[in-house]
Amino acid sequence: MITVQNLSKAYGTKTVLSAVSAGFPPGCVTSVIGPNGAGKSTLLMLMARLSEPSSGDIFFDGKPVKGIPTSEYAKRVATLRQSSDFNMRLTVGELVAFGRFPYSRGVINDNDRRVIDESIEFLSLEPLRNAYIDEISGGQRQMAFLAMTIAQQTPVLLLDEPLNNLDMKHAVQIMHALRRLCDEQGRTVVLVIHDINFAANYSDHILALKGGQIRFNGPSGETITEALLHDLYDLDFEILSSERGCVCDYFTPRSGV
Amino acid sequence: MKGKGALWTIFFAVIALALVFVFAGSGLNFEYIIPKRLIRLAAIIVGGICVALSSIIFQTLVNNRILTPAIMGYEAVYLMWQSMLLLVLGTQGLVTIGSGGNFFISSILVLLYSWVIHRWLLGNGNNDVYRLLLVGLVLTMVISTLTQFVQLRISPGEFAVFQGLSYASFNRAQPATLLYSLVALTGVCVVGRKYLPELDVLALGRDQAMSLGVNHSKLVGLYLALIAILVAVSTSLIGPTAFLGIFVANIAYALTASRRHRLTLPTGCAIAIAIFLVAQFLVEHVFNYKTTVSILVNLVCGAYFLLLTVRVRGTL
Repeated sequence: MITVQNLSKAYGTKTVLSAVSAGFPPGCVTSVIGPNGAGKSTLLMLMARLSEPSSGDIFFDGKPVKGIPTSEYAKRVATLRQSSDFNMRLTVGELVAFGRFPYSRGVINDNDRRVIDESIEFLSLEPLRNAYIDEISGGQRQMAFLAMTIAQQTPVLLLDEPLNNLDMKHAVQIMHALRRLCDEQGRTVVLVIHDINFAANYSDHILALKGGQIRFNGPSGETITEALLHDLYDLDFEILSSERGCVCDYFTPRSGV
Repeated sequence: MKGKGALWTIFFAVIALALVFVFAGSGLNFEYIIPKRLIRLAAIIVGGICVALSSIIFQTLVNNRILTPAIMGYEAVYLMWQSMLLLVLGTQGLVTIGSGGNFFISSILVLLYSWVIHRWLLGNGNNDVYRLLLVGLVLTMVISTLTQFVQLRISPGEFAVFQGLSYASFNRAQPATLLYSLVALTGVCVVGRKYLPELDVLALGRDQAMSLGVNHSKLVGLYLALIAILVAVSTSLIGPTAFLGIFVANIAYALTASRRHRLTLPTGCAIAIAIFLVAQFLVEHVFNYKTTVSILVNLVCGAYFLLLTVRVRGTL
């Protein structure tokens, strides 16, 4: 569905992403992991077309995305960055309605209204519908932004660290919602994430970056191993499995950092 | 008073104010007094619309509610041109050029200035609005200092003329310049209207706007160009309005309780016109031209805005 080929990005003389080629399996949750400065967000921003690659191409359904107008791309790929602090006074409902902009250009019809209702319901945000987004908690705000992205009804969703600054409950809610988007609606979700345990338990596919290059890439069952994670993070990992999933324990290294 | 209700209330208030402004104490003199007042009314309407549109759109683009396009140095360029004119040609020069000529030259200078800084700072896909603001602010200071330097060189008589030009005034407008302003304003409105829905999205910030399919850099460039035209027209027509736009924009946000441009833009225009009408009326009938519109507007708007902040705290 969405693939990148030989993608590179340099800021001045500093290369943050060099010749990355990867595909993102459709209908799956793919987590992009790696240490700080690995180029994860850069990769996501390039795929979202929020910045221009220095070289290389991005393909959507086999077609280079350069040829797709911004307004059309917004019907295929939706992006959620870490919620920016804009000083607009909007209710949650009004914010979610913005998700319909690529289709409605601000004139909401019955179908748009239905999609907005569904997106709000999907994340159980009905009680907050008329609350102002500057008056709700960070976790609730992130849910509201996610609802807007869902209302965009794109086959692909890109999320940049959606769990940043969230408590455990909101983090689980968001990850659970992303899982359901894939399983129930067949959408492709690509997210940059730092919490290795959420990545391991909720994603189908892992793409690991380090120093602007792909370190490993594959189904999460094969990639969440002590050896690969040690190599990626330079940390001592112990993977504990239980019926409910697995825990990657790296908190107390045996041999020092 | 929220949303559409506020808009209609202000709309009718403006019509009532305009009628009072034109007819009060005129003795229904249709040969001289009323035509003169109609010209001032037209200047107030055109100037008010320019100030309101440019300020509200500018605040959306830079995502900041305490700035007006004045920070970009447009008005500083106008003032420098006026002072240079007085230095080189003296008051005689103003007469030679005529108000129409002065209108044209200052409009073109402001547009030229904005074109150069947009080309320089927003060229080749770069759309760092904060860099634009920073450079605009620095240029404003540099140009204002140059203007002050020139002011020291001109005679006291010329300085008095210069001071007159540096306040907003509706007495300067001529039917011809009004007509040109109206044409420019109509053009801006026609082009701007086409992308009105996108303005709401631009307020969400660059990344979110682009993710929703809005070509951010293209629209910011377009709207900054439209703002430059509006400011060029209003400055050349009624003089610098400096930070008046802040009051207009923020009162519009407070009254409509919305940031939808479909509501805030017309409300802002009506508010600006109402404020100007009241101020000009007071200058003419109460203060007998002993004070200026700018001073009155700043005084009244400042007080009203503070009142609004206190009364409807939390909705701003």
